[in-house]
Amino acid sequence: MPSQTVTLENETGLHARPARVFAKKAKEFDCDVSVAKTNGEADPVNAKSTLSVLTLDCHQGDEIEIITEGENADEALSTLVELVESGLGE
Amino acid sequence: MSTTLQGRASSPGVAVAGAFVIRRVEVDTEAAAAGTPEEEKQRADAALEQVEATLTELAESKREMLGDEADIFLAHADFAGDPEIADMVHDAIDEGSSAPTAVTAAFDSFRALLEKSGDEYLAGRATDIDDVRDQVLDVLAGRQDAPVPTEPSVVVAHELTPSQTARLPRELIAGVACAAGSPTSHAAILSRSLGIPAVMGVTGLLAHVEDGVTLALDGEAGTVVVAPDDDQRSAFEQRITEQEERRERLSALRDEPGATADGHRVELAANIGGLEDVEAADEHGAEGSGLVRTEFLFQESAEEPSIEEQAAFYRKVLAGLPGHRVVFRTMDVGADKPLPFVVRDPEENPALGVRGIRLGLLQLDLLVNQLRALLRSRDPDAEQGTLAVMFPLVSAPDEVRRAREAFAVAADAEGIDHSNIEVGVMIEVPAAALSARRLAPLVDFFSVGTNDLLQYLFAADRLLADVADLPDVCDPDVLRLLGTVVEAAHEHGAWVGVCGESAADPASAAAYVGLGIDELSMTPASVPQVKDALRRVELETLQAAVRTAQDAEDATTARKVLREALGG
Repeated sequence: MPSQTVTLENETGLHARPARVFAKKAKEFDCDVSVAKTNGEADPVNAKSTLSVLTLDCHQGDEIEIITEGENADEALSTLVELVESGLGE
Repeated sequence: MSTTLQGRASSPGVAVAGAFVIRRVEVDTEAAAAGTPEEEKQRADAALEQVEATLTELAESKREMLGDEADIFLAHADFAGDPEIADMVHDAIDEGSSAPTAVTAAFDSFRALLEKSGDEYLAGRATDIDDVRDQVLDVLAGRQDAPVPTEPSVVVAHELTPSQTARLPRELIAGVACAAGSPTSHAAILSRSLGIPAVMGVTGLLAHVEDGVTLALDGEAGTVVVAPDDDQRSAFEQRITEQEERRERLSALRDEPGATADGHRVELAANIGGLEDVEAADEHGAEGSGLVRTEFLFQESAEEPSIEEQAAFYRKVLAGLPGHRVVFRTMDVGADKPLPFVVRDPEENPALGVRGIRLGLLQLDLLVNQLRALLRSRDPDAEQGTLAVMFPLVSAPDEVRRAREAFAVAADAEGIDHSNIEVGVMIEVPAAALSARRLAPLVDFFSVGTNDLLQYLFAADRLLADVADLPDVCDPDVLRLLGTVVEAAHEHGAWVGVCGESAADPASAAAYVGLGIDELSMTPASVPQVKDALRRVELETLQAAVRTAQDAEDATTARKVLREALGG
């Protein structure tokens, strides 16, 4: 299961529009994508669900782990990591 | 007998009309499933899909009217199409729930999770989740067409959701009154952008108001009068007439230049952040732009936009403001607004770090490329505005010299004579304001950025509520400082503008004109009211007022003096 941790640099973290941007990108892939807050107590959630992503309550500076499994899992992972690194459209 | 209810003023204006009450229909969550689990799932899926499609469509159809505010409907559409919601609904139906019960449970469980987070933003999303849930329930119950008023009415609800507000035909909403909510609720924001008077958070509203009863709503005082008597009614109607007259007077001023009653010219320009502002500037009769922000061009792309891409955007702005001066500010970014393609070490204190022209001088290619694009955007054969260039966050004369050198390099590269293009600097660092005398000979104009200047002068973040009240541009000594900046500029033949929200505040605008400031640049929608206020007062009155304000005890007293000069 490919996975990678990445730090949220953009101002609003995984809230509001960036949460939607993130989930939308995850939806483009057929594989399963989940995301968790590193050091968070909660289990990883479905990254294709904006509502689930919001419940993680991730802010600027938080570290998240992205986990992919299935078809094109590596490509999905690198695409999403890049998206987070580029600031999620902010 | 009339009753006056007090709420919070949320969108200005007054209205007198019959009440149109929207009451929520409760869903019977105890009801047993109507069909087989498969049928219930199909019903639920179809309803979710329909709401998602309707909201997506609503976002697009309202975009022209609402601009970015229309994004709220895209967010809601996304909630309706959320895969986890669909999964939870299916699971609940498999366990014997009806479609409406399953939908309610799924949305409510997310609502609870977000409320539990303790994060203000997330807790605020609970209302959004309720809104989407209710729309899905409406579809499931066959309530396809929400009732709409048949004549202009004051819409009354416990809480009005954005989709309800946007779906109501604008011409039939005289006003909006809600029992819950505040001036920052979506419904309040939408009402303001649609120009509908609104009062939110009216305690006891639904207990006092029946469908059809006459309401007199005051969006400035935050009051709702239920069944007003004849005197109250005529007082409100009088204000409505004044309101309409004022609107007509302002639109009649559209093509008039900005000036005081005795003909002293003050250019009234618009701040531009995107192409939609260019249209708004033209619509509100702004005289060009005193500030075109360019940073978003860079923030939205993963790599530096090419010179041609930049020039294409600048050309569109110039084409939209023909016959006026258009001041482009070179990119004002820094560690607080990092660019994807500029890699720099994080800073402990971005407000005091590599921002504005400091970044441009450190990454000279970026600055030169932007200046080349600006030069290239001019087209002598096209009808366009006159290009001017401004550098942000300048603090010392040497920075101006180096920025001008970059401009010369850019002009050489483009093979363009740049000697007739005005070059200015922002005055937003206290050091720049203090050394105005040494900066003035190096530029054609100054533009005072009051937001940052005040933040630095008072060492107070304006976004931090506990200290936000400290900085005030009408502080007597800030007014003195601005006076010295204007004097220094005029002595060297440079003009002075102010760009910043304060240019639209009547007391501040009065002070600026009294100090001799030549141009005020503000939100496009504020131009008509400032134009109207200035045309009613003579320059001498404002000059005298600002002298008194400079000697005042504090900002509050100074403001009072300035407002009185404007005639109230």
